[in-house]
Amino acid sequence: MSESILLSDSDDEALEPAVQQLDGWRLERVMSAELANAVAARPGVRAVVVSATDPTLLRMVVERAHGCGVAVIVSCADDTARRRAVELKVEEWYRCPADAGEIAQRIRGAVGRGSPKAQALEDRAERVEYEQMLHDSLTGLPTLPVMIERSRNLFKERGELVVLYLNFVRYSKIEEIYGWEKLDAVLETTAAAVREFLDDTALSTSRLMVSFTNDDDFIFFHVPAAGVAAATDNEITEMVARLQRHVGGRIEAQHGEDIAALFDIYVGRAHVYYNPKIRLERLIYRGIREAANAARSIEERERGRRVADLRSSLRDRAVYVDYHPIVVAETEEIFGYEALARGVMRSLRSPEVMFDVAAEADLVWELSRLCRARAIEGIETRLQPHHLLFLNVDPHDFSDPAFNENEVKYPERVVIEITERTAIKDYPKFRERLRIFRERGFRFAVDDAGSGYAGLGSIANLEPDFIKLDISLINAIDTNFIKQNLVETMVKFSNDHGAKVIAEGVERAEEFKTVKDLGVHLVQGFFLHRPLRLPLPPIAEPAKR
Amino acid sequence: MYPNTCVVGARVVVPSSNVGSTMKNETLPPILVVDDNHDNAEIIRQYLEIRGYPITVAHSGDEALALFETVRPAVVLLDVMMPGRDGWEVCRVMKQHATLGRTVRVIMVTALDEWQDKREALQIGADDYVEKPFDLPTLAATVQRNIAMQQAMAS
Repeated sequence: MSESILLSDSDDEALEPAVQQLDGWRLERVMSAELANAVAARPGVRAVVVSATDPTLLRMVVERAHGCGVAVIVSCADDTARRRAVELKVEEWYRCPADAGEIAQRIRGAVGRGSPKAQALEDRAERVEYEQMLHDSLTGLPTLPVMIERSRNLFKERGELVVLYLNFVRYSKIEEIYGWEKLDAVLETTAAAVREFLDDTALSTSRLMVSFTNDDDFIFFHVPAAGVAAATDNEITEMVARLQRHVGGRIEAQHGEDIAALFDIYVGRAHVYYNPKIRLERLIYRGIREAANAARSIEERERGRRVADLRSSLRDRAVYVDYHPIVVAETEEIFGYEALARGVMRSLRSPEVMFDVAAEADLVWELSRLCRARAIEGIETRLQPHHLLFLNVDPHDFSDPAFNENEVKYPERVVIEITERTAIKDYPKFRERLRIFRERGFRFAVDDAGSGYAGLGSIANLEPDFIKLDISLINAIDTNFIKQNLVETMVKFSNDHGAKVIAEGVERAEEFKTVKDLGVHLVQGFFLHRPLRLPLPPIAEPAKR
Repeated sequence: MYPNTCVVGARVVVPSSNVGSTMKNETLPPILVVDDNHDNAEIIRQYLEIRGYPITVAHSGDEALALFETVRPAVVLLDVMMPGRDGWEVCRVMKQHATLGRTVRVIMVTALDEWQDKREALQIGADDYVEKPFDLPTLAATVQRNIAMQQAMAS
């Protein structure tokens, strides 16, 4: 292959080492005035770095270079130069002084991009898109096709490869509850923790590679080093246990207990042996499928165990309740508490998990009854007389004959939260039930409002006293003006309908300030209070921040 | 390829001589204006350029993506309705960009009057929107608050 030439009029000393970082490149310096001619005259020129500030000269170089498919990089001394460079649609620019690494990267980028004359814009746009498919932008991990390419030779050489499939269960749940931005953040934490873990893992005699499947699963390739046996089942089980602790710890530290309680990994494993008759990609994909199936069957087994856990929890009434304060935005005084039921058993700690398991085992009503009873116990023992109790009730619970308007002693102190997410089948009948409860003195809140595309129409139908905004609208609301606009709309709507808006999931001071400024009446979230946990002194006012 | 070159060349002088007294325009971050309607794009460019912003214009989604890495804009004003790659698709790709995706602020230029549209915009990662038909002062204010936000987040 012939050498590529980088032409430049710059006397920047960093250029030389930059060119050395590129493979098969040579630097040739010429005077600024000769640059335009040299670009066209010399064969082998693939890129030109221009430092001249004269706009006419720069335009000439760009036109000439683009005429013969040479990439242009402008070394900009100031903002004017940069602006001019961008306007002339050069391939790349950098601010002077730049280090050799950056310059090399810019040259590489410019050459990769090609001149707009030689290649259609469409190609360039596509390239931007394709590059993103190679590495996941969130986690920085390579995607599967990239990893297969990288392990191809190693796999051939060693003859075997172990695929580990890490199924991070319930990440989809995180997205459902908190929105995609939260899951993105959790995945980022996960990837960082996984990488950290790999850096000091004991399987160092072999090669471990990690890939991210763009959903919520991770794939490890483990290629044993020459002459060393592949990791045994025991080693892998042990490694997975450590990985689970490590990642779980990180997630709890950065995203709190509620999210960490949802976290679980199931790992499946498959051993793949090289076979020259079979296409290598197929071998690997089959291995991945096998490992994924193995992970799934572990998950199944685990699910069976959880159902058993739930049955015994119901028998022993092993559910406790956290009371999460809801405060008045203006005064930060406590307005009421949301009751959050949790399983005593570790496997059922998260209410979402607990109710999922109940749904699978047809135990939703029983579990709901227990959680309600536990939560209501707290009205007398935990709450002050002027505090309201916010109680989560699934719309299906209204069909439970055991749930009726006379179940509660102080209906006027109870706000029933109904999630917007559950589809209500028989609307007229449901509204009739609501009316009966309302007459007894209960109040209603629409939970997760604005989570879907439905907008405000369906909320108006329920005539709620409170509207609880979906967490995904509150998360990072201070930086997103569309969210602010949506919440503003919601506040206006509530004011028109005599309801109060509650923002839940307020975790940062900026979020608190933003929702307060937007006129949100009530606020709930870790920024103000953590949930109160038993045992507590009875009727204790929680400590202020 | 460069039908506006001379116009552009002439106009570059305007901010530096006109607003030169503020001295601030040299540090204003670059903006990428994407609109398939040349007149619209030109109006926005003129209005913002006089305010000292370095403006690059793209007339299609493809051109916007092709210019994205070179311009490295702080803010992208993105028309939604474009032939070929529409604004949503461009926004999604930009927001997923490995190095620039985190910092770029994308303002959708469209009438997002329905709840559903705004929810869609959020899902795709947009930061703000300007309702169409827009008036220029609102547009400038929107650009400004997003630049302020971008700088606050960068520091």
